[in-house]
Amino acid sequence: MLANYLIGLREGLEAALVVGILVAYLVRTERRHMLRYVWFGVGIAAGVSLALGAALTLGPRGLSFQAQEAIGGFLSIGAVALITWMIFWMAKTAGHLKGNLEGAMENALNVGSGAVLAMALIAVGREGLETALFLWAGITASGSSTAPITGAVLGLATALALGLLIYRGAIKLNLRTFFQWTGVFLIIIAGGVLAYGIHDLQEAGILPGEHTVLFDVSAQIPGSSVPGTILKGVFNFSPETTVFQAVAWIGYVVPVMWMFVRTAFRTSAPKPASTDERALAHA
Amino acid sequence: MKAYLVLPSLALTALALTGCVATSESDAGTSVAVSSTDDACTLTASTAPAGAVTFRVANDGTDVTEFYLYAEDGTTVVGELEDVGPGIARSFTVTLDAGTYVAACKPGMTGDGIRSPFTAN
Repeated sequence: MLANYLIGLREGLEAALVVGILVAYLVRTERRHMLRYVWFGVGIAAGVSLALGAALTLGPRGLSFQAQEAIGGFLSIGAVALITWMIFWMAKTAGHLKGNLEGAMENALNVGSGAVLAMALIAVGREGLETALFLWAGITASGSSTAPITGAVLGLATALALGLLIYRGAIKLNLRTFFQWTGVFLIIIAGGVLAYGIHDLQEAGILPGEHTVLFDVSAQIPGSSVPGTILKGVFNFSPETTVFQAVAWIGYVVPVMWMFVRTAFRTSAPKPASTDERALAHA
Repeated sequence: MKAYLVLPSLALTALALTGCVATSESDAGTSVAVSSTDDACTLTASTAPAGAVTFRVANDGTDVTEFYLYAEDGTTVVGELEDVGPGIARSFTVTLDAGTYVAACKPGMTGDGIRSPFTAN
């Protein structure tokens, strides 16, 4: 049951974190009316995944290995594009917030409803089919034992709870700090998603170098262990990383992080701050 | 807004259509059951007619397992099944040309796995 719990946790974790941050962004920039697009996207992605998973599990036709990997790969790269875009809304908004002043929301980037919908859709849909196939296998097995499906569902529920927790935390943080650090966090997540997508495309035979492995720590950090699960679930860290994956990860994270830090951590405009500080010192 | 949704959907539909393979035996395929435990990997058959072959992998062990079907070289993946939790059975179908393959279970998802030859003829 623990093993199935960890698979459920891992499959749901990244989607829960991305959606949690997206919701926090909309709430903090006073765009609550756009939340329905988030839930709409999440609902469609979950519904389509479950339906497709059922059709593939119970129906007469399955997906070939290459097709499954290719879908995973292309969806991942699409997800990276969308998350990167979200990162730069955050960077621009953080850069506009002078110091710690809140209420500068007219400066927050205007985000279209389509973008929000697409973001929620792909965040959940990316691993949705894989998760649905896993769940349906567990449901089919529940004739003999309900432990696997119970474990998997509890794992997904834990992922949801962690997503809620990051939302709560994000709501309490100072706004500028919130955009800065969730942005940094999202860049690391997106780098992992890119590396994951590259690996899927390598497995599908679309990209080369599947067996050119840079390092293999699968003996030290087994994918089924608790640390392996967290690293994989949040950062898509694969214990056996190919050279192509590593190059893609660095080639994405380094320049994006550099641009992000330049925009979001830009020191604020000169100096009404000094009067604030004096006022504070006297208080 | 439409481009975000239409392009991926089209790509997915195209992939799903071209990537579909028959999973039931009535569609002229063979079925091989695999039992993966912590220290064994048992296949009900080590040969199958070339064409669609469905592997149904049951994890009868205590740790998560994976099943791989490699080409003769033992490294090129022809088909795989990841994340088969204990007590769970999953299946996948590959279309095999006549030839020699290597079947492997990887309990704990590490190492080269427990390997055995598999022939399509």
